[in-house]
Amino acid sequence: MINTNRKINSFLFRYTPVALLYITILNEIDFNNSEFKYFSFNFVYILIFYYSLKRDGGIGYIFIFIAGLFNDVMNGIPMGLSSLCYLLLCAAAVYLRNITLRPNLMKDWLFFLTTILFLNFITFSYLFFFFNYEANYFDEMINIIFTFFFYLIFSYLFKTYDNFILSRYN
Amino acid sequence: MEASRDDFVIAIRSAFLKKGNQQRFSLLTLILFSIIFLILGNFNFKIINFNKTVIKEIIYLSSFIVTIPENGIKKSFNNISNHFDYYDDYQVTKNELQKLKDKDLSKQIITFENIELKKLIDDYFVEDSQTYAKVLIDKESPFLRSIIINKGSKNGVKAGMVVYDDIYLVGKVVEVNFITSRVLLISDINSKIPVTIQPLNIQGIMSGLDKQKGNLQYIKDDKLINKNNEELIVVTSGSGGVFKSGIPIGKIDFTDSSSKKNLVVKFYRNFSQLIYVKISSNAKKNIDLDSSNKKNFEINKDKILKINDALEDIKLLQQQKIIAEEIRNKLETENTKLKENLINAEKEITKKNKNIQKNKDKNENIKFLELNLLYGHKCRKSFFKPTLFNINTNEYRACVFNEGPINKN
Repeated sequence: MINTNRKINSFLFRYTPVALLYITILNEIDFNNSEFKYFSFNFVYILIFYYSLKRDGGIGYIFIFIAGLFNDVMNGIPMGLSSLCYLLLCAAAVYLRNITLRPNLMKDWLFFLTTILFLNFITFSYLFFFFNYEANYFDEMINIIFTFFFYLIFSYLFKTYDNFILSRYN
Repeated sequence: MEASRDDFVIAIRSAFLKKGNQQRFSLLTLILFSIIFLILGNFNFKIINFNKTVIKEIIYLSSFIVTIPENGIKKSFNNISNHFDYYDDYQVTKNELQKLKDKDLSKQIITFENIELKKLIDDYFVEDSQTYAKVLIDKESPFLRSIIINKGSKNGVKAGMVVYDDIYLVGKVVEVNFITSRVLLISDINSKIPVTIQPLNIQGIMSGLDKQKGNLQYIKDDKLINKNNEELIVVTSGSGGVFKSGIPIGKIDFTDSSSKKNLVVKFYRNFSQLIYVKISSNAKKNIDLDSSNKKNFEINKDKILKINDALEDIKLLQQQKIIAEEIRNKLETENTKLKENLINAEKEITKKNKNIQKNKDKNENIKFLELNLLYGHKCRKSFFKPTLFNINTNEYRACVFNEGPINKN
């Protein structure tokens, strides 16, 4: 019984972020393009960055790669672009983890901002130069700002959830 | 300095090359895969397209399955909110139905006339093929506003086909897979639709602004719009040949237009509520203007003229009916008044007759009294005149009026 509980908790600990990632991408409710004109944020960026930073191996690179492909197909953008961005985000998070001796939320937060600005720059440049997509820059700016601010809230929530699962696990 | 550069290189190398626990690929490998995907996506090879189609089909179907609970909740919520709105909607619909019924006859004639005129200028499109599809996924992307429908090349759907919700324009098919297709909504910023603003007949290009609105660009004659105060309707102009002309899109929302140069179109349909859509392709009806067609045109023209005449007659008759009804109402009112007057007059006459009768009786009595003074002694019965009459008898009265006893000779 104790073993079963441990297995369930281990499974939850490992696969909850994966499930969240896929549900967010495949669902029609998308915070990345919400109903509100002046509110949207990229939950997937927060999720991937947080777990890549806090866990060794993160969510799983292959899961992230496939999730990126799913996102591209769902959003109708060239296949591979979101995968590239998600993996670069992972790389940035892993690099930060490697160079950090004493984790600090403020540093993570500012590094996250730099990373998402760079990733959005890549996305827009690619879409603009190769596919002539016309994007609404104001909306994207709002998206980046909210993603940046919501990182704090979600990192707290993810941390609480992980602690809860780990406490049950131990 | 060198040590810090070494640290940087080690950190970067570790980030890109190190495989985590239970990881089969390093980040660098997967990044390269992504770049390969991006590069291959630009080539139009059959095998790549086939693989892309297969991946897309799988993802669309998985998304459809994942969104079932969410759609169920949405549907229930919509049903409940619709239920609460039913009564108000019913009242509004009832009023609108009455108005529409009135307009229907004129519209039929105008449509018929319009078709004939379009045929004449070779701009009449007929629906070549038409199919209905269910909206599988309605996921919005920051780069593309589109929906996924459950009909693909298997069902004869082709890129460029026009998609409608009822009669209103929804968008066009931009990507066709085997059993699914992607429809680019007109609310997308990249959809450039040639439109006409009616009734001013001003041409422009509309692109998406947000879910419910579009933005009008390259408008000619905006002075006319500045002067205008009536409701302006936006329909497709048919320029470019992708959409046929006259498909309703929405109306201009002046409350949301920051200036009359930057006009906002409010769409008739809510694209986030789409369940079924109609996909159709249009083809020009080939008409050879031979003698039989000319004859048909003449016949149709005559028909139109006849119908127009009939319509005018009907209008005249309707007006006459209205006037006749007004007159009838007036006459009825007058009649009622006259009846009342008659009854009053009859009452007065009866009153007056009674008075006359009274006066007659009075006069007779006065005359009797006068004559009684003069001739009463001639008629009154006494000891010496036993043949005469007692007072207060009719015979006495007759005798007095006769100024003495009636001479029997």
